[in-house]
Amino acid sequence: MACLALGVAGGTVAQPLPLAPDKAFRFEARALNPQTIEVRFSIADGYYLYRDRVHFSVEPAAIATVPALPEGKFKQDPFFGRVETYRGGVQLNIALKDTVPGQKVVVVAESQGCADVGICYPVQMQRITVALPAANVAPTRPGQPKSWLN
Amino acid sequence: MSRYRRWFAALALVVPALLLGIYAAIENRPSRDGAPVLGLTLPDASGKDHALSQYRGKVVVVNFWATWCAPCREEMPEFIRAQSELGARGLQFVGIAVDDADKVERFSKELGLNYPALIGGYGAVELSKTFGNNLAALPFSIILDRKGAVVHTQLGPLKPDQLRAIVGKLL
Repeated sequence: MACLALGVAGGTVAQPLPLAPDKAFRFEARALNPQTIEVRFSIADGYYLYRDRVHFSVEPAAIATVPALPEGKFKQDPFFGRVETYRGGVQLNIALKDTVPGQKVVVVAESQGCADVGICYPVQMQRITVALPAANVAPTRPGQPKSWLN
Repeated sequence: MSRYRRWFAALALVVPALLLGIYAAIENRPSRDGAPVLGLTLPDASGKDHALSQYRGKVVVVNFWATWCAPCREEMPEFIRAQSELGARGLQFVGIAVDDADKVERFSKELGLNYPALIGGYGAVELSKTFGNNLAALPFSIILDRKGAVVHTQLGPLKPDQLRAIVGKLL
């Protein structure tokens, strides 16, 4: 593993700061239609999330069915054994029921990840409020790549 | 003459901005005073309180870590070796775990930790921020000299040679 030598007050040669966790693991959520919310983490190069520490939920919880997370990549960790991680990104569609057009729901993402330079971030909780559309029209996102998952 | 006025006007804008920038940099710089760390009293995994003030006069390496942090676990065997070899000369490691007590206890036993593993919880991350750990990431280490001054802080693992070089000058 590459080592990060970030001397803040010492004589160590300083290297660029790693990214803040919300930049390393960018969380986004959008309504595809009144019954579906797409959630995703876009993960910067050199960073990864542990699959078993990624959780999505919706408030109010009763209206949402959160499916199992997609499979990640397995690696043998000297300390944790076989671990499953996400690099590049992870995306999921959450089905909603009993919603009304224009209703606002809160999507909550819990995650924990690390950087290849040898640091880990504590659990992050991120929340995004999504307004459900009135019609079944999927929003477009300019410049959106067709495939963004590694 | 008007040329000088323009220069003077420019200087009048630039100098205060420069001074403000220097002041802001000073205000935001990581603390060099280790007193907030040495003033801590934290419980170990069994609930027994440990006052870090008992280590005044020693070279203290305070290491913020967690069991879920692989890079943290990676550097700890070297800390154990250094504690064992240099403890008699006045080196003292203190681990502050950003974690649950039961996990810390299990891992400490598994690793044969020979220095205190205190439970800081997620609040410990806030303390580390005052020493420059703005990202609240782990591992993060603070090295204090015998007078309690911060001589080195580091985000990311301390390499064995680097650790020995730093503490070797302080012991």
